[in-house]
Amino acid sequence: MLEINNLCKSFQRKIALDEVSLTVGKGEIYGLLGPNGAGKTTLIRIINQILEADRGTIRMNGQLMTQSQLANIGYLPEERGLYKNMQVEEQLIFLAQLRGLTKKEAQRNVSHWLSKFGIQDWRSKRVESLSKGMAQKVQFIAALVHDPQLLVLDEPLSGFDPVNVELILTEMKELKESGKTIILSTHNMQSVDEICDRASLIHESKKLAEDTVWNLREQHNQGEYMVRFKGNMIGFVNALWTDFELLGHEEIGENRFLAKLKMRGASQMNDLINALVGKVEIELLEKKLPSMQEVFIDIIRGKEEVHG
Amino acid sequence: MGNFWLLTKREWSERVMNRTFLWMLFIGPLVCLLMLSFLFKAGDEGKNSINVLIVDPAELMDHRVMAQAEHEVHYFFIDDYVEIEEFRDGSQYQKFDAMVEINEKILMNKKAFVFYRASPSMDVKMQLKFQMERRIEELVVESFTNLSIDNFRRIKQPLIMDFRNVYDPKNESSDLESWVGFVFGGLIFLFIGIFGMTILRSTAKEKSNRIVEVLLSAVKPRQLMLGKMTGIALAALFQLAIWSVLIACGLWILRQTIFPDMMNPANWQGIQMAADVQNQVVMAREGLSNNPVLDLVYARIDYAWMSVHFVFFFVAAYYFYGAFFSMIGAMTGTESDGQQFVMPILLLLGFSILSGYMYIHYPDSTFATWISYLPFTAPMVVMIQLAQGVPIESYYLIWIHWLIIVLSAVLMLQVAGKLYKNGILQFGHRLRLSQFWRMFKS
Repeated sequence: MLEINNLCKSFQRKIALDEVSLTVGKGEIYGLLGPNGAGKTTLIRIINQILEADRGTIRMNGQLMTQSQLANIGYLPEERGLYKNMQVEEQLIFLAQLRGLTKKEAQRNVSHWLSKFGIQDWRSKRVESLSKGMAQKVQFIAALVHDPQLLVLDEPLSGFDPVNVELILTEMKELKESGKTIILSTHNMQSVDEICDRASLIHESKKLAEDTVWNLREQHNQGEYMVRFKGNMIGFVNALWTDFELLGHEEIGENRFLAKLKMRGASQMNDLINALVGKVEIELLEKKLPSMQEVFIDIIRGKEEVHG
Repeated sequence: MGNFWLLTKREWSERVMNRTFLWMLFIGPLVCLLMLSFLFKAGDEGKNSINVLIVDPAELMDHRVMAQAEHEVHYFFIDDYVEIEEFRDGSQYQKFDAMVEINEKILMNKKAFVFYRASPSMDVKMQLKFQMERRIEELVVESFTNLSIDNFRRIKQPLIMDFRNVYDPKNESSDLESWVGFVFGGLIFLFIGIFGMTILRSTAKEKSNRIVEVLLSAVKPRQLMLGKMTGIALAALFQLAIWSVLIACGLWILRQTIFPDMMNPANWQGIQMAADVQNQVVMAREGLSNNPVLDLVYARIDYAWMSVHFVFFFVAAYYFYGAFFSMIGAMTGTESDGQQFVMPILLLLGFSILSGYMYIHYPDSTFATWISYLPFTAPMVVMIQLAQGVPIESYYLIWIHWLIIVLSAVLMLQVAGKLYKNGILQFGHRLRLSQFWRMFKS
């Protein structure tokens, strides 16, 4: 769907993007991660043709990106902005028409999305009279009202309450199911864990990692396991012997514990099961993968240590 | 092109659907008409009927002045000296509006002082002067000649020194026409000032509320800039058109109702009388009525000719100056930022208006030649030239001036477009002069 090759961008002496390449597949939700000032917004602006790259190419569906392809892109910038004195419906129709829809198509789509988000009663209200959350919804609709193939969402969840976060996440999943591609730039790592198929991490203008979310978590797996069991804690520790290291435990009920373990040597999960069977009653055993938040911190710290 | 018109339409709607704009659409012409009415009245201001005391201790006048029954000056005579203070404060003199001192030397030096309480109207002043002069003539003829008064008047003619430009021997142009051009030029710069500030504020506002990033993901920065400028220009032209129609209607109504007699030659006694004693040629050239403002507004302006050129020069100058306002708006860090950079532009607008004044007074100077070609000042100069009348053989020069403004506007729009593109997504900084150059280079 989108192929970015060796993208470079500088602002005077500051390098914003340094040889960044990434590929976003059709129908996937792609997480664009990185700390503040890493270059994510610059990359997003270049994708949207707001800024020109100094070097490198962007291809969309195999074609070099041009202004005419912007009609296939929906963009929700991090800094939200709407004309405050325009009516909601009037504004959405205007923005949809800018993206190439006829007035009739725009009216039909706007009506559909306003109903879907339950704000059809607000269509004649001026934006300045809306609550922040409501304006955020209008902004979100503005990004997808023209039915784009690719959605670029910069921090789409910021400013929403938990109910609306869920609404937006559900909507993103539905969009994915209908074949849309989404690039999601966010600091909300829980949402990345939940909905992203693949992700890349940009730090100090360079891409540090890119893979599926599962692989990224797997790659940063520390060999840790969580065990919930019923029985005696002393018996449990004795059963571990020297093949496993107990990192911590918590009593969650009468003779019920939750323990965190780390494998030693070449020990596998089966060895752990064998060691525990007959000693305690295992209720739950799972391999503990790091969250994307932990992966993110791990990569950034690793990079800083190398430089340090 | 589609997006350009969408942006233009949105900007136009935002301006025109604004309550203040709609109010101004009607208040503006109303204020103009009130001001014009005031000026019409001011041209005919003063007391129209007065009692004049002739202080004539030498009894030269013999208690006679040729007052006419229908006229508004009533004469009273006293054969004694009256001091000014006495006339001013004495209760017996309060019924007199003016006092004319006649001394024995008047036949030689032809000079008399008139002391008034409130300034009489021009018409009354001219009647007074005319009637007094007629009486003095009778006395001069009686004292120094053997001629009859009619013969004396027949041979008496003042010397006419009529100064005329060799390029305008019929004296078709005049200062009055120049001022008409000045008013049209001034209107161009007034509207550029008002709507230029609208461009700046609107750009800065779009920037500060961040809608600009959404727009730029669909349109090119230059398209956005030109769409905004064109939308605002259309709003300005719309306002001008409505104002013109309303003012024209208002002037017609004024002429039919409040000032119907002013355009009637039968009411111009002052002019007729003055023509007797002065110079008919000179007076006839001064205008159709004895009220210069009325004459200017109703008789001297070729509205169609001026309006067509006005639109062309307004549009060209608007885009030229608008480019400056746009780039400042795009470069600002906050909505209130950039005010200091507007000042030089406003000074330039002021200078352009001043240059019109200079052009009227020194039309053949080198300075006048320069300002007629400079895109900053040319619209003003050209409007004056057009009002004065341009010979057909040099009419092409008007369009050369226009072309210079258009080319300058295109050039400035290129520069502004680049600065707009580089500056519009810079937020929160404090605008400095060096940034203009840095953004232009990058």
